[in-house]
Amino acid sequence: MVARRRKRAARESDSGVPTLPGYSAIPIKFSEKQQSSHYLYVREHKVREGTKSSWPQKRTLFVLNVPPYCTEECLSRLLSPCGPVQSVKLQEKPELAESPKEPQSKFFHPKPVPGFQVAYVVFQKPGGMSAALALKGPLLVSTESHPVRSGVLKWIRDYTDSVPDPEALRVEVDAFMETYDRKIAEEEAKAKEEEGVPDEEGWVKVTRRGRRPVLPRTEAASLRVLERERRKRARKELLNFYAWQHRETKMEHIAQLRKKFEEDKQRIELMRAQRKFRPY
Amino acid sequence: MLDVCDVTLASPCHWPQVMESALEGTGKEGKKESLKKRKMAGSPGEGLLQPVKLSRAELYKEPTNEELSRLRETESLFHSSLLRLQVEELLKEVRLSEKKKERIDAFLREVNQRIMRVPSTPETDLTNQAWLPDGVQVPVHQVPYTVKGRFHFLPPAQVTIVGSYLLGTCIRPDINVDVALTIPREILQDKDGLNQRYFRKRALYLAHLAHHLAKDPLFGSVRFSYPNGCHLKPSLLLRPHGKDERLVTVRLHPCPPPDFFRPCRLLPSKSNVRSAWYRGQRYCAALSSHEPPTPHYNTWLLQDTALESHVQLLSAVLGSASGLKDGVALLKVWLRQRELDKGLGGFSGFLVSMVVAFLVSTRKIHTTMSGYQVLRSTLQFLASSDLTVNGISLCFSSDPSLPALADFHQAFPVVFLDSSGRLNLCADITASTYHQVQHEARLSMALLDSKADDGFQLLLMTPKPMIQAFDHILHIRPLSRLQAACHRLKLWPELQDLGGDYVSAALGPLTTLLEQGLGSRLQLLAHSRPPVSEWDISQEPPKHRDPGVLTLGLILQPEGLTSVLELGPEADQPEAADFRQFWGSRSELRRFQDGAIREAVVWEAASMAQKRLIPHQMVTHLLEVGMGCGALAQAFGTSSTGEEALAAAVRCYDDLSRLLWGLDGLPLTVSAVQGAHPVLRYTEVFPPTPVRPAHSFYEQLRELASLLPRPDKPCPAYVEPMTVVCHLEGSGQWPQDAEAIRRVRAAFQLRLAELLTQQHGLPCRATATHTDVLKDGFVFRIRVAYQREPQILKETRSPEGMISLRDTPASLRLERDTRQLPLLTSALHGLQQQHPAFSGVARLAKRWVRAQLLGGELTDESLDLVAAALFLHPEPFTPPSSPQVGFLRFLFLISTFDWKNNPLIVNLNNELSVEEQVEIRSVFLATRAKLPVMVIVTPQDRKSSVWTQDGPSPQILHQLVVLAAEALPVLEKQLMDPRGPGDIRTVFRPPLDMYDVLIRLAPRHIPRHRQAVDSPAASFCRGLLSEPGPSSLMPVLGYDPPQLYLAQLREAFGHLALFFYDQHGGEVIGVLWKPTSFQPQPFKASNAKGRMVVSQGREPVMVPNVEAILEDFAILGEGLVQAVEARSERWTV
Repeated sequence: MVARRRKRAARESDSGVPTLPGYSAIPIKFSEKQQSSHYLYVREHKVREGTKSSWPQKRTLFVLNVPPYCTEECLSRLLSPCGPVQSVKLQEKPELAESPKEPQSKFFHPKPVPGFQVAYVVFQKPGGMSAALALKGPLLVSTESHPVRSGVLKWIRDYTDSVPDPEALRVEVDAFMETYDRKIAEEEAKAKEEEGVPDEEGWVKVTRRGRRPVLPRTEAASLRVLERERRKRARKELLNFYAWQHRETKMEHIAQLRKKFEEDKQRIELMRAQRKFRPY
Repeated sequence: MLDVCDVTLASPCHWPQVMESALEGTGKEGKKESLKKRKMAGSPGEGLLQPVKLSRAELYKEPTNEELSRLRETESLFHSSLLRLQVEELLKEVRLSEKKKERIDAFLREVNQRIMRVPSTPETDLTNQAWLPDGVQVPVHQVPYTVKGRFHFLPPAQVTIVGSYLLGTCIRPDINVDVALTIPREILQDKDGLNQRYFRKRALYLAHLAHHLAKDPLFGSVRFSYPNGCHLKPSLLLRPHGKDERLVTVRLHPCPPPDFFRPCRLLPSKSNVRSAWYRGQRYCAALSSHEPPTPHYNTWLLQDTALESHVQLLSAVLGSASGLKDGVALLKVWLRQRELDKGLGGFSGFLVSMVVAFLVSTRKIHTTMSGYQVLRSTLQFLASSDLTVNGISLCFSSDPSLPALADFHQAFPVVFLDSSGRLNLCADITASTYHQVQHEARLSMALLDSKADDGFQLLLMTPKPMIQAFDHILHIRPLSRLQAACHRLKLWPELQDLGGDYVSAALGPLTTLLEQGLGSRLQLLAHSRPPVSEWDISQEPPKHRDPGVLTLGLILQPEGLTSVLELGPEADQPEAADFRQFWGSRSELRRFQDGAIREAVVWEAASMAQKRLIPHQMVTHLLEVGMGCGALAQAFGTSSTGEEALAAAVRCYDDLSRLLWGLDGLPLTVSAVQGAHPVLRYTEVFPPTPVRPAHSFYEQLRELASLLPRPDKPCPAYVEPMTVVCHLEGSGQWPQDAEAIRRVRAAFQLRLAELLTQQHGLPCRATATHTDVLKDGFVFRIRVAYQREPQILKETRSPEGMISLRDTPASLRLERDTRQLPLLTSALHGLQQQHPAFSGVARLAKRWVRAQLLGGELTDESLDLVAAALFLHPEPFTPPSSPQVGFLRFLFLISTFDWKNNPLIVNLNNELSVEEQVEIRSVFLATRAKLPVMVIVTPQDRKSSVWTQDGPSPQILHQLVVLAAEALPVLEKQLMDPRGPGDIRTVFRPPLDMYDVLIRLAPRHIPRHRQAVDSPAASFCRGLLSEPGPSSLMPVLGYDPPQLYLAQLREAFGHLALFFYDQHGGEVIGVLWKPTSFQPQPFKASNAKGRMVVSQGREPVMVPNVEAILEDFAILGEGLVQAVEARSERWTV
């Protein structure tokens, strides 16, 4: 322990907070009690010309190495002294576009356990971002005024949150199914409308509906057909009819034995190497 | 060696190369490639089999005559070319090399000269042994001491080498050369055959020799031993001095000159030990009219006279036929692996050579046969013949003066006469040893016939120690009690015959007694006596009781394993009295349901664990009643094995599934209900108990009818819901879109909960993926499944509109959970019905793996399958019928199985044919690189090994193998210890010194604290009531802080370290840094996790921020973590 402390002291005295070109490092701790800190590596979110990104240029701060106990609200609170924060998004790995999907249902997509994450912090004004870049920590995740729960307390809260409310679930399911049914109905209506109407090149799509549908266009089905064909052909063929066939069968037999022999030799070689023949 | 292999396995970087070369085309280049590859495979570091690819030219070249004949020979003489090569390798390993032979020969010549130079002594009375110098003791017990006759020493008339060394069938590692010394006729007198006179002279002869040879610097050690365990016939062991000491042991056996004894005096019906002499003068009058025959004594005399003729016979038969010699060597290895050839009454290598000679003489074996065929024919003969009823003889003369076989059957249990027709070679073998040989031969024949892939390995390379082979082991000690038993049973004639060896005398009646008592429960009864160790010439010879213990092994019939009743004859039958006498006080009259009144013995046993110990009860009782001596039972019994609790849970599940079947009001009816939880296949380590929560202990969430843990109380009891998969009937109404299907399923879950509450009053709680049901205190988690869902998840549409099925992680997971897991569960449930010990074995095995902190790396199912393999493929054993034997074999399997080159095939329900298994193996070899380290194949899962996909990693598997290899001998020793097994938990305690960081947890928040290997004396209240109270609130489910903590740790630091924990009440988490994680890495946005930048030289590089991480360990587990012990001396940043 002592050695480690000394080493750390030496390292810190060398260079202050070690930095990285392009990034600035902000120390972050869970609370006052901790002795050593993690470092957030932050820089302005920039993309090359022509690459699309949904994060606004100039206002977005890209944060690396966010510790697992630091939530979005936390980060927002910690960075708000630099300027008003518009949004904070924590992700597992850097991604250019904001995930386009609508907020996912908490019933069907439970939140994963967090590890170290990256964050995109969007400030309301560009000034907030530049202030954040100059921030000299250490930031404290959990303070007297805003305690953050971890450990047993957090797990108990998580458990409480995970007890489902069947009513809410039912409402959500019903809403989803309604939209889904509507979508299907629309698609069907559209298909019916298009039936028999030639497209721009003049092709007409014909679909057979009924009790005996045609062969489905799946890989499995086509493989099945091929296999059936092969078997049919094999049944018709005569075995060892010509002298050359006979000769080849014999040769094939010897070849098989040789191959087997080679394999066996290899196995024996291996066993010998592993001293597998010492009986006791 | 293992290390090297493992490193190669661990780095899959060269596998692609192999694959490339395997894909190489034909022609010259291909040939070169394959040659190179073969060389690669041959190099010892490789350790991995690759598919062989021969070029076309090589495969289809014209065969030479030589090659053709070899191929044909292999086909006809051996099972397969692999077997042939294996046999050749094995023989190479056990054979004596020419170089060593030369050294031995030189030593023998020296020995011969030295013996001839030993000076002679003046003649004295046999009882006057004052001439013997101080440093040597007579190597027999001279009881009674007085005996007539005179003795003086003369150098032997002849020194001949006899036995296997001469025949070239001796096997390493301990080479014995037997040398017969013919005692000159002048030393012997006419009636020396009587009253042990010959044996006394023989012993004195050896004592004198020993004294003189011990002075010689040529010999490293000169000691006495009883080579066949016979206490009247010592021999002198000579070992060379210096580095050759281990090379060879020369055994000197004095023998009488040819034709010295008159053969007619030594027939089994004759008496050569006089009672008057043996028991003192007092009995003279009473017994002089009738002298009891001494068949064993006579045999021992005859054995000495026949040494040379036997060797002549064997060399005539085996002489030029190398196949026969190979066969004998293989048979000797076979016997030795089964511990059959040891000590008095062992089925020795000499005996098996004689059996081969007999089979040659009856033309069952031909001299041109190969070693493998000889082995097979001999085993076939041993398995199918019964020498206890129909003895065999090597003597074909029809001399009327020869005794009949029937005479021998009267005197000996097993009969095999030599070529003289007078000597029973099997005289010392007891019936139970012979039955054990038969049993082993039968098992081996079944194994050979089954065409198993590694028959060779199982037959000749796998040792079968007694503790692994038998269901029950019993030790009788101290042996001196048997002496009292002999007196009690009046075994005077036997003692007289055996020269006072009361262990041998009592053995026969003892085994008969037990066989009769155990009756139909018994499959095989075997006994093992530790071999008498050799002793220094200045010491007294060891006493009969010196080995200290007689070990009995029982294999029981599965039916008779647990029945508590021993049914006797009806009370008015004459046999009833015998029955009463046999069972003593335990026998009582009982009236049965069919009205019969019978004698019966009922054993008390409440639980399954106690029932399993019934054979112990019986044996102990029988020994007390019949022999007056106690036996010490050896059992792995714990106070409660939880089998009843498991059965109760399964019964509750059956009830629930009936309810589900009968549920009305569901839009689709239930088509199948399948269990998918370890409890429902009887393999959960700690079975669930009904939950009766004390409401005051919890926070209550009334509106959702649930209990919640409270921060100010200790963690509540851990309740794991048992998963049940519920399939609904097929319908066209299901949507064809993955997201929509999930919603519909959720709707079904809700409906199910509603209906179960309405119709059966069960408290339920539905979520999107499952419904939790509380029934009789057990919590079940019902998952509704739709058969086509995995397929829908798999579908991908190609640009041409063709729909093809591709596995995706989600589809694989779903398929595993809703299809494969229920199938496995039902198959193992079935296995449990066939083999009641399965549950115990699987649970012990799992407990052990988890106690070693490796439970997180190996899935439940994979361990269950390994345990199932012990029952489905027990060769060369029989399926285990007690948990401890199964557990030992589990350790053996884990420590010896070659996972790199073999899949573990678990043939559930016997669905895989032999051809299919061969196919599976070849597919395995071809795709080895893509498969997980541990491959377990079942009929339902032939290619992918789902249960080992996510682990263990090669390092973890290696660790497991090492731990198992260490635990096995320790446990075997403990269980075989006649003084009782001691603390079995020793092998369950994990080594903690290998971890870099130890995180100590607070017992307050470990819900399963009481399940620890060393169960804590006191733990916390977990909020359970002992009395059942009506509760409609759902208890806290699956809330296990250590597991939640581990999940967080693994997610946050899994890229830097491995975390090990025993989920059953472990108080410590072991952390091991990954070897690569401390290497400085260049900066990348994706690997910044938990690392910090330091400048190394001028480059900024990233290293783990260890101090902060160690503090994170404490933060993430606030309240649970007591201390984080960093053993910083183990690493450097």
